[in-house]
Amino acid sequence: MNINTKIKLLGSFIVAVFFIAYSSVQAQSDPSGTKRVSSTYAIKNATITTSPGKTMTGATILFKDGLIQAIGTNVYLPAGTDVINGDSLYIYPGFIDGASSAGITRPSEPERPANFDSSNPSDELAGITPWRNVIDQVDMNNNAISDWRKAGFTVAHLIPDGGMISGKSAVVVFGSTSSTNILGQKTALSAKFRGSRGMYPGTPLGVMAKFRDVYKNTELSAQHQNLFASNVGLNRPEINKTYEAMYPVINKNTPVIFEVSNDLEIRRALRLQKELGFNLMLMGVTEVEKVISEIKASNTSVLLALTLPEDKSKNKSDKLNEEAQERTDRVKEAYETALKQAGMLEEAGVKFGFTTSGAKPGDLMKNIKIMIINGLSEDAALAALTINNAQYLGIQKFAGTLEKGKLANMVITTAPLFTDDAQIKHVVADGYVFDYETKPKKVANGNKNGNGAAGVSGTWEYVSDTPAGSSGGMMTIENGATGYEGTITYDDPAGSGKAQATMKNITVKDGKMSFTFDVSAAGMEITVSVNGDYTEDQFNGRMSLAEFGSFPLTATKKPNQSNL
Amino acid sequence: MKKLNYIIAAFLVMVWMPSMGQTQKGSVLIKNATVITITQGTLEDTDILVENGIIKKIGKELTANNATTIDAKGKYVMPGIIDAHSHVALDAVNEATAPITSEVQMADVVDPYDIGLYRALAGGVTVSHAMHGSANAIGGQNITLKHRYGTFNPEDLFMKEAPRTIKFALGENPTRVHGRGKNIQPRTRMGVEAVIRNGFNEALQYKKAWETYESASKQKGATPIPPKSDARLQTLVDILDGKIIIHCHSYRADEIYALINTCKDFGITNIVFTHANEGFKVAPELAEYTMGASVFADWWAYKFEVYYSTAYNAAILMENDVLTSINSDSGELIRHLYHEAGKTQRYGQLSDEQALALITINPAKQLGIADKVGSIEEGKQGDLVIFNDHPLSVYAIPQMTFVDGIKYFDINDDQNDMRIRVSANEMVEPIFLKEHAHNCMHGVDFFFTNFGRNLFEHSH
Repeated sequence: MNINTKIKLLGSFIVAVFFIAYSSVQAQSDPSGTKRVSSTYAIKNATITTSPGKTMTGATILFKDGLIQAIGTNVYLPAGTDVINGDSLYIYPGFIDGASSAGITRPSEPERPANFDSSNPSDELAGITPWRNVIDQVDMNNNAISDWRKAGFTVAHLIPDGGMISGKSAVVVFGSTSSTNILGQKTALSAKFRGSRGMYPGTPLGVMAKFRDVYKNTELSAQHQNLFASNVGLNRPEINKTYEAMYPVINKNTPVIFEVSNDLEIRRALRLQKELGFNLMLMGVTEVEKVISEIKASNTSVLLALTLPEDKSKNKSDKLNEEAQERTDRVKEAYETALKQAGMLEEAGVKFGFTTSGAKPGDLMKNIKIMIINGLSEDAALAALTINNAQYLGIQKFAGTLEKGKLANMVITTAPLFTDDAQIKHVVADGYVFDYETKPKKVANGNKNGNGAAGVSGTWEYVSDTPAGSSGGMMTIENGATGYEGTITYDDPAGSGKAQATMKNITVKDGKMSFTFDVSAAGMEITVSVNGDYTEDQFNGRMSLAEFGSFPLTATKKPNQSNL
Repeated sequence: MKKLNYIIAAFLVMVWMPSMGQTQKGSVLIKNATVITITQGTLEDTDILVENGIIKKIGKELTANNATTIDAKGKYVMPGIIDAHSHVALDAVNEATAPITSEVQMADVVDPYDIGLYRALAGGVTVSHAMHGSANAIGGQNITLKHRYGTFNPEDLFMKEAPRTIKFALGENPTRVHGRGKNIQPRTRMGVEAVIRNGFNEALQYKKAWETYESASKQKGATPIPPKSDARLQTLVDILDGKIIIHCHSYRADEIYALINTCKDFGITNIVFTHANEGFKVAPELAEYTMGASVFADWWAYKFEVYYSTAYNAAILMENDVLTSINSDSGELIRHLYHEAGKTQRYGQLSDEQALALITINPAKQLGIADKVGSIEEGKQGDLVIFNDHPLSVYAIPQMTFVDGIKYFDINDDQNDMRIRVSANEMVEPIFLKEHAHNCMHGVDFFFTNFGRNLFEHSH
C-alpha cells in the first residue's frame, strides 16, 4: 500500500511513534531537521463526523496552527497547505480520556522519621497530598502516551498517583513534544479509598473518617482565614498546606474525582458527597446495575471503566453436574451484565464518558465494540469518547467536536469507526499529524505488544490491598540461565522498613506469571504465593497467604529501565 | 428436562430478590403455632398477625385480608434471634492503626452481599450488631443491622431506630497490636486504661472548647475563631453525654472491674462487657453498674487471657441478675445461637425462658432496641422465626425467618446458590467462614505487617 508520501512529518516523532512514515523534505532553516514545513493541513474528500450523529460526506477539513479553520464541501485551501487525500477516510473528533494514568510515575514516599508514630503520621506519609500537581508526575515522552494516542486519544485528564488524596489533576493534549501541552491545571482533586501502609488511615474505615476530617477542618480553616482578614485582634490562622489546597474543593470550584472499583465504593463516594456537598466525578465506574438510580439522582459525572472481564465460563465442559452448572450460569450472567454496563447507563439516560484507567490501548476498540453489541449505541459510544468528557472537563468550548475554531484534534480511520475494518491511519492532536501503518487486511488493531521480548524481566512496583491496608514493594526479575529468577521486597513484619526475599518457582506462561516467596515472622515461616496475568508493563493477580486468604495484587513495570 | 430446571431455578432467584428502594415491610398471618413470646409466656395454638412490618395482634382465630397465611400447626414461633456481637457483612473490621479510632463508622463499610447474612437468617437470626474489631482500646462506631438480605443498598440493612454503639477493647489485643506491634501506648493493661482515661479527658476539653465557641458566637458582634473539628473526640463526648452504648471486648475480671471504675469516674453507665470470660467473678459489680455481659456459651483457651473460663459463666451471671446475652462473634456460630443458648441448660440448669432470653430480649436490651424487637408482643417489629420443634431441642431446625413481616428464609425454598453478587472473574469464589480465623488467633504472635496483622483481630 502506498502510504503517505505527501505528509511531511518530523524526525522527533519517530522516537515517540512507531511505524511512522515521513518525507525526507526538511526545512532549510532548521539545522536539527525537526521543524515541520507547514502547520497548515487539509484533508480532502473525507467522511467527517463532526459530533455524534452528525456526518457529512465528501467534505474537507482545513486546520492551521492547531485550530480548525473550516469544514465543508467547498473549502478554499490557501497556498502552502499540506493536503492529505481523504478519499475513503473517515474523520472523527479526537478522543478525550476522562481519567488517565498514562505517563504517570508515583512519587516516592518520604522517609519515615525516627520517632515515627503510625497512629498519627504526617499528611504526606498518610497519602494526603492535595497540593501535588500531576504535571510534576508526568513524562509526556512516555510510551504509554504515544500508545494511547495511537489508539485515538488526543486529550487526557491525567490523574496523579498516590494515596487517599493524591493531588490535583490536569488536562493535556497529546501534541508536539516541544510543548507543555497543558490545557488546564488543577482540574479536579483525586481521591480514592486506598489506605496507607501500616499507618492511619489504613482501611476504607479510616479513609472515610479521615476524608471527612480533612474536609471539615478545611471549612473551619477557611472560616478562620476569613475572620482574620476582616477583623482585628484575632489569633493568626495556622497556615496548613493540606487545607490551603482543599479550599477550591470546599468552594466547589474544583470537583473531587473519586476512583471507585465497585458499586459499594460508588455508594461510599456518594455518601461523602451527600454529607459534605462537594462536586463529584466517579472514575472507573462498574457494576452500575446495582446503583444506577442513585447515580442518576446524584447528578455526578460518570467515567465508565473501559475494562471488561473475560468470559470465565466459556471453557467449562457441557457435562457439569446440576450444582456446578447453576454456578457456571451465574458467572456467565455476571459476565454478560458486565458487558452491558454502558448500554444500561445509556438506557437510563445517564450521561457518561470513558476512562482508560486500568485499560490497555489494544483493548479499546475491541471492548467498545463488545459494549455496542450489548446495547450501547454508536453515537453514545462516540459521545463517551469525546463530547461528554469535554463537558465534564470544562473544555467543550475548544474540544470535543469538529467545528471551526476548535482544536484540531481528530481520529482518521480507514472505515467507519466501530466497524471491524476500521483502522486508525492518522491521529491529529493539537494540529500535529501522527501517521500509523495500516494493514490491507486487518489482523489486529492497536498495539500488540502483549507479551513482548522483554517478558517479565525488569523491575516491578507492586501494591496489594488487604483488609489491614495497602502494602507494597518492588520485584526485580531477570531471565537467568535456568529460567527467571528474582527478588521481592515487602514490609518488614518485624517493624518498619522493607525486607527482601528470593522469588521462587517463577513460572511464566501464556501471559500468566506465578511465583512464591517465604516470609519469616516471629519464628513462623509463611509461604506467600502470587499468581496472575501480565502484559508488557502491568501485572494483575492475587497474593495468597497460606490459609489466611488471598488479596488482590497489582504491579507496574518501572519504565526506562528495560524498555529504553 | 434438566435445562428447564435451571431456567426455573434462575427465575426463582430473580423473583426472590426483593426489589430495591425503600425498606420493605410485609404482612403475614401465622396460625395455630406454639408462640414463645419470651416476655409473656408461651402461648399454645396461637395466631400472630403482622401488618406492615409490625405485630398487630396475638390471639386465637385471627383473620386477615391482605396477609399471607401460614399454618404453623405443631410448630414453634419465637422472636428473631439477636446477636450482640458479630462481624458479618463488613468489608473492613479493624482500623488497627491507632489506639483510639472512635471516628470510624462501621456503617461506612457494610457489605450487603455477604452470604453470612443469609446463613444467619437460616439460623433464625434477624438482627446482628456489626462491630469494629478489638485491635484498639477504643475502636469504631458499630452498626446494628436488620437482616434484610437481598438489597444492594447497605443502608437498607441499617436498623435506623437503634441507638449508637461503640467498640472498646481491653487486654491482649490492643496491647499486642499497638504496644508490641508498634511500640506505642498501650503496652499493658494499665496502658489501655490510661489511653481510655486520656481520651475522655481530652474529650472534656474538646467539649469545653466548642461550648466556649458556641456561646461566644451568640454575643452580638463577636468574631470567635472556631476550634478544630475532631470526630474522634466528638464521639467520646457523645459517650460521656450518654448518647452511645459501649460494648467492650474484655476477658479478665480485673480489667472489667477497672473499666467499671473508670466509667464511674466519668459518669458513664451505658456499657456492656462482651466476651467477659471471667465475668462471673465480678457478677455483682456487673449487675449493679452495667448493662451486663454478652458472653460465649463455651469458648476459651485460644490465648493466654482466656484460660480461666467456665461454661457456667452465663448461668452464674444470670442468677446474679446480670443482664446477660450469648453472642456468636463468628459467621459460623451465628447459624446456631439457639444451640449455644441451650448449653446453659446443661451447664447451669437455666429455664427455657432464661435460656432463650439470652439470645432475644437480653441482647435487645444491650443494644437499646428492646422496645422494638426481642420478644413477641403487639406493637413490636415483625421479626419472627418458625421452628419445627422447640428451639432448645437438639432437633430444632428453623423453617422460616421473617424480618419486618417479610420472609427472608424458607427452608423449602432454599436454593443452592443464594448469593446476590457473583463475580464475573472467578468461577469459584473463595469462601471464608469467620470461624476459620479463630484458629489463626490461637496464641500466634503473627505479624506480617500489613498482610496479616489484624486480619485475625476481628475474632474476639
